Amino acid sequence: MTRKKIFLIVQAVLCALIAGLLAAAALRLYFSGTGNQAGELFDHIYTREKAGAALLPVLPLFLVSLAMTVTGIVLGIRDENADKPVRDAKLLRDLGEVYRCAARREDARGTRYLRTAVLALALALIVLGILNGGLEDVLAKGAAICTECIGLG
Amino acid sequence: MDKQKRRPGTRRLVQLYAALLYNANLKGFITGRIYSGEGKAVCVPGFNCYSCPGAIASCPLGSLQNALNASGHTAPWYMLGILALFGVILGRTICGWICPLGLIQELLHKIPTPKIRKSRVTRVLSYLKYVFLAVFAVALPIWYGVGKGLIVPAFCKYICPAGTLEGAVGYLQHPANSTSFWQLGPLFTNKWVIMTVIGLLCVFCYRTFCRFICPLGAIYGFFNRFAVTGMRVNPDRCNGCGLCVSKCPMDVKHVGDHECISCGKCVGNCAQGAISLKAGKITLKGPEVGKNADPEPVIRKRRSAGRIAWGIALAVLAFALVWFNFIEADPVPAVTAEPAAETQAETETEAAVGSEIGNLLPDFETELLGGGNFCLSDHRGQAVIINFWGTTCAPCVAELPYYEQLKETYPDVEILAIHHRAGAKKAEAFLADKGWDQLDFALDSKAKGLFTLLNASDAMPQTIVLNRQGVVIYNAQSPLDYEKLEALYKQALED
Repeated sequence: MTRKKIFLIVQAVLCALIAGLLAAAALRLYFSGTGNQAGELFDHIYTREKAGAALLPVLPLFLVSLAMTVTGIVLGIRDENADKPVRDAKLLRDLGEVYRCAARREDARGTRYLRTAVLALALALIVLGILNGGLEDVLAKGAAICTECIGLG
Repeated sequence: MDKQKRRPGTRRLVQLYAALLYNANLKGFITGRIYSGEGKAVCVPGFNCYSCPGAIASCPLGSLQNALNASGHTAPWYMLGILALFGVILGRTICGWICPLGLIQELLHKIPTPKIRKSRVTRVLSYLKYVFLAVFAVALPIWYGVGKGLIVPAFCKYICPAGTLEGAVGYLQHPANSTSFWQLGPLFTNKWVIMTVIGLLCVFCYRTFCRFICPLGAIYGFFNRFAVTGMRVNPDRCNGCGLCVSKCPMDVKHVGDHECISCGKCVGNCAQGAISLKAGKITLKGPEVGKNADPEPVIRKRRSAGRIAWGIALAVLAFALVWFNFIEADPVPAVTAEPAAETQAETETEAAVGSEIGNLLPDFETELLGGGNFCLSDHRGQAVIINFWGTTCAPCVAELPYYEQLKETYPDVEILAIHHRAGAKKAEAFLADKGWDQLDFALDSKAKGLFTLLNASDAMPQTIVLNRQGVVIYNAQSPLDYEKLEALYKQALED
């Protein structure tokens, strides 16, 4: 096994570990929080302090992984297989003639007509939407945070 | 080491540019508040959470779900038109060039680890995003909105990693929003785990979210075949070798199909010089080396046009940064936060004026929806609960019946529910439908600036509870159930 391969595997393990710890931190907070909440009405599952303490152990690993990433990028260490063409014949079976037929022709008249029709339809819908209050609805939703919609609760 | 390869390419610079332009409200990260101006009526083409403190415009997918939620009374023409417009002009070029989430995924994929290459499995998985589109972005919002009268943008709520990262984490990171931690529970835990899993997968598998999950990419994919901007193949030059497809990291069957994000990698991979990225008849990226390379004068002309385009784009960015951070200010309250001297004296408390726990809430007066006025100082000696809500906020709508119940049980409590200025016009009709007649409702506006005066957050719901002296005993951005409300009311009477 080359040093490069070892480097890539170590980095992969680190990434998996960081993601695992991040997920585990949330799950641990949640399960310990729900246990404590049973008695007190205003006990909270998450607080800034609890979240900070839970995430702190991930920081050293994150910094090591960051340093390895920078080193890898600077030294050009990467999985070179990723750049090689896929050779799976079944995956590429659509190529050849099918491929060429499907290739987009710039001067296809049908495409131009369709494009113009969709463009006109889009503009008409936008005007209709502005008239029926759709624009205000977008503003109403975007201008305030719906905490549930972003997963806060 | 080849330095040329380490330098960010044009596409990366455009991605960074788009991410910065979409999030030009940089002061939001400092103040912990989102931009809530008129710009939010417009959607950006890429995936960018509108609850991100930096966001200057709305997310098209979130807005689409919201429009479908409301489709029982307002047809979603505006959002359908916007998506069709973006789709027909740019197609999935949006995904490849101007989507901040695409940029994040590509940066994660830069982490040097072994990579998972595309295969028949990934090609099958690429159809999964149509399931997410049909179920989470279309069916569930319509079912909840039209069928149950609830506002549930299901994809945002249950899955969207951009919402978790940009919206939730972006918002929670600011110390001013610490009380928002209180409402975190199973929903956040699920979304956090989903975000970390997707993030991890992106490290190993190119654009995992974009290829297998993203409903917005699925929508733009429908337009890809005839969009103005996209990859073009010159059939006279193409020899069908298939190198373009076999080297493409996306699950394309041919250049320019519904999976193609027009990243332009195939332009350089094609030995025949048959592929180019075009916007109508204008070539944005064409073959520059090889036997069919574009002539030198054409390349020079293209580069000089590119420099002009960059100049204009940077001017737009500079304008946006100045405008959103320095010129377009938050709504200014019409009244000052200083209480009248006599009011201060009446309260017989030395508490400082403010909205923090232990502060004396500034006095204010506002007209009520049902007629009459609400003046805070008129309610000294009473427990007062002020709730900040919006019709587009599902937890707000869900908790208001508890306030109604509290008022019925304890008629001496004063409850004022202030609607956010966004969407205030529709609140009256909404309330008429609900029939909540026990509570006092007021609508905020830019001129009134009640949210600003009371230092209320844009993250709703928020509740402030005052004791009989008008001192804040509770102030949190978190929904309350009846049990907690009752406990707070009793505490207000004791203090």
